[in-house]
Amino acid sequence: MADGYIEWARQATDPKEARKKPEALDDLVVLDASYRHIGGLVCSSMLSEFGAEVIRIEPPGGDPARNFSPYGIKHKDTGLGYLVEARNKLHITLNLNVAEGREIFKKLARKADVVIETFPAGVMDEWGIGYRQLSQENPGLIYCAIYTYGQFGPRAACGKPDYDVINQAISGVAWSTGEMVEDEDNPQPWEVPTKIGSWYGWYIGGLWGAFGILAALRYRGQTGRGQLVDVSGAEGIMRFMDCYLTFYNMTGIEKERIGNLDANINPYTIVPVKDGYAMIAGFTDPNFYALTECLQKQEWRNDPRFDTFLKRAKLTASKAFWPLLVEETKKYTADELLEIFLDYVRNKRGPGTPVTAKVATPTEVLQQENWWLRGVLEEVEDLNYGKVTLQAPVWKMTETPGRIKWVCRSVGQDNEFVYRKYLGYGPRKVRELKERGII
Amino acid sequence: MTGGRDEPFVEWRRGRAPGLRVKLRIAGEGKGLSDYFRWTAETFAMDKVFEKPEALHGIRILDMTNVILGPVVGDYLGEYGAEVFRVELPGRGDPTMRVVTPFGIFWKNACPGFFPQNRNKYFITIDVRKPEGVDLFKQLARRCDVVVENFIAGTMDEWGIGYRQLREVKPDIIMLSLNGFGQWGPFSIGRPSWDLAAQAASGHAAITGFPGRPPGKAGLYLGDYTGGLLGAIAVLAALHYRERTGKGQYIDYAQAEGLIRTMDWTWVYQGLTGRERGRYGNRDISFCPSDIFRCQDGFVAIAAADDEEFRGLCLAMGRPDLIEDERFRTAEARLKEEHALELLQIIRDWAATKTREEIDALGELYRFGSAPVMGFKDQNYDPHLRARGMVWEIDDPVYGRVVEVGPVVKMSETPGRLRWSARPVGFDNEYVFVKMLGLRPSELKALEEKGVIGKWAPLLGSMPPDGWRGEGTIF
Repeated sequence: MADGYIEWARQATDPKEARKKPEALDDLVVLDASYRHIGGLVCSSMLSEFGAEVIRIEPPGGDPARNFSPYGIKHKDTGLGYLVEARNKLHITLNLNVAEGREIFKKLARKADVVIETFPAGVMDEWGIGYRQLSQENPGLIYCAIYTYGQFGPRAACGKPDYDVINQAISGVAWSTGEMVEDEDNPQPWEVPTKIGSWYGWYIGGLWGAFGILAALRYRGQTGRGQLVDVSGAEGIMRFMDCYLTFYNMTGIEKERIGNLDANINPYTIVPVKDGYAMIAGFTDPNFYALTECLQKQEWRNDPRFDTFLKRAKLTASKAFWPLLVEETKKYTADELLEIFLDYVRNKRGPGTPVTAKVATPTEVLQQENWWLRGVLEEVEDLNYGKVTLQAPVWKMTETPGRIKWVCRSVGQDNEFVYRKYLGYGPRKVRELKERGII
Repeated sequence: MTGGRDEPFVEWRRGRAPGLRVKLRIAGEGKGLSDYFRWTAETFAMDKVFEKPEALHGIRILDMTNVILGPVVGDYLGEYGAEVFRVELPGRGDPTMRVVTPFGIFWKNACPGFFPQNRNKYFITIDVRKPEGVDLFKQLARRCDVVVENFIAGTMDEWGIGYRQLREVKPDIIMLSLNGFGQWGPFSIGRPSWDLAAQAASGHAAITGFPGRPPGKAGLYLGDYTGGLLGAIAVLAALHYRERTGKGQYIDYAQAEGLIRTMDWTWVYQGLTGRERGRYGNRDISFCPSDIFRCQDGFVAIAAADDEEFRGLCLAMGRPDLIEDERFRTAEARLKEEHALELLQIIRDWAATKTREEIDALGELYRFGSAPVMGFKDQNYDPHLRARGMVWEIDDPVYGRVVEVGPVVKMSETPGRLRWSARPVGFDNEYVFVKMLGLRPSELKALEEKGVIGKWAPLLGSMPPDGWRGEGTIF
């Protein structure tokens, strides 16, 4: 391969140059009225990273999501969960519980391209500021509602709150993840359906929201028409659950949790190594061959339980193979394994490409230069919040890469600016609205 | 700022149960709500989906991908109307996903694992390692808006169909490359990857699972499906930019980096406190309660972050005494480690005496978060998920009845839809090469003889079902 390509790719997409390039969405104004919900924040982060002017609307006391933080830790006035997803956003306050606040919201929505909200379905409509009402005055408005149970369907009106763990439970991901019960008579507390450690149930809802908004944006570009975009974090992950729903309908077999084994392929697992854990993959026939070469266990290839891809894929084979694999991997550190595997691949010592990677702890991830060079992690300087380490926009792009400009703003910090810019309110009007508890 | 009882915005959450303030204290009490749901039911009615336009109609995607991470991008976009041309090698087709299926079980000669990333697509074959293949690929690229690929970095360039070469034939092309570690950088070079490698390298596995137990592998290929979505988002943003300026661009996406992006407060926590994020099982250490509990007939998730919801939960448990209990009275108090553990134990003991359905219903009555841990069978028969098209039945000309997970985003004007399921290798060669490129039958034949294009080999996962007689094709 041409080294020229890699050098070209690096230069053409270098995140250090990102700030000098144009922005894909800097023609958009977004009102993010999400409340007590990390998914809405993630949704507007996707747009603000690409340059949209995102106006966060919080109640006068601040969004309770500012309190969602490990052990309740605050950085200045803000919890860590919120701090990560406040990037590039202007922060204003507005009391939607009173009629006057809702009138101001309507005026803002007339100027907006996108509205994002995360209340239980029907709340905004009941307040007179849902899609039906706002679209009358702004037919091009794209209105994205993120809520576990969606905007229609038998349970849409249930009024229950939307939580990460609830979305994970409904989606099938908790069902499918976690350790098997070893002894039916004595199940251990950890041998239960297990959620993904992060707020995955919120994050994925937010990402699908951004996808829907951008798809709607194209339609608006063609026709001038906006629309209501209805997204559920639970359904967002349900879509990701491989073929298990389809497979159940085809065969009557329901996939259950099987710990660190895999339902489809073997080996494809996490194993202990000398210095922690590593993942190992070598499931296709050439890759299994390569794995046996790398670990010097050629006899596995002739074992009638493991000698073909399809035989290995049986759950019984996965269970039988795992202890044999572990006996070998324990002899190496994760780095030694990687070195052996890469030597095999790069020096073309045989067919197949076995794969391994250390199960990195977050501390190790932060110590690896790769992510900093790639601009995945960034220490962002912020006038209010100081230096904060954030995960940066994920894409390297030649024309319009995303970027972080600031980390966060305090509650209502941009009231004067935003209300002046969009509605022409002067300082006296803003003060008066503040005194009356509207903003 | 505690999300407490006097906080504005809480009115909508007053529960319906005795002992709670009942009324919605807002304009149009009650009637607005039901009216709204009548309107949404009409607006989103599933039986009207095919009568409506599509948001991405007119966008063409050349889908030069394998396995899941790449293919699923075209699937997501194709659900909303993009025309997607999936390119495979003649014979076997996708060497991995045409054989990766639960427990090695095939169905109607097809590989079930191949279905979720490949709906609505046109299946063609091109061997780009042959010069005629490169030419054919470039002819198609000239007619497309987006190229998606997920080979090892540099492979497309080596084949003469990288971004640098394709922009020569189509200057405003948008090209998305996805792989484990990106197109450049220390981890990238010559290194193959899989979903699980991204879970491991990103730290994702390290924060999933229980304390004192090994790191947890997710029960799905989450790096792939999440990565495909992040890739699709970038493509849509790039399309918007192209609309404004006429310019295309190249996008580099790395799977491990996408997972790093979704790991919420991990990095800021480490940076500010110097402490390491661990594994916390099912509980949330950012608010309490939020956890998964064993009940009589399975497991349920329960969450109640603010005082109002917590109050509802206490009443549902028949424990009004807990509302004013010093240990649990405020959100901050509940989050204190010893209090959190005590509270979760109280809920655990209570949940064990109830069924999934009871706890689900109590959440609605008392307004706190509750839901059963649903399996795939539960989802399949769930009336709500069915009404929302999440359980979607395709009446497919090749495979008959296929049940798939439907489009996630519900759009009032341009709803997503599933037209057909995955296809055997080279299924749409004639349709695509004749209709789009105007190839003559003799030219098709010549390409086939040279092995540049071709149909399926008689292999499980690649070939049509037994007894198939050309249904679903027009040539």
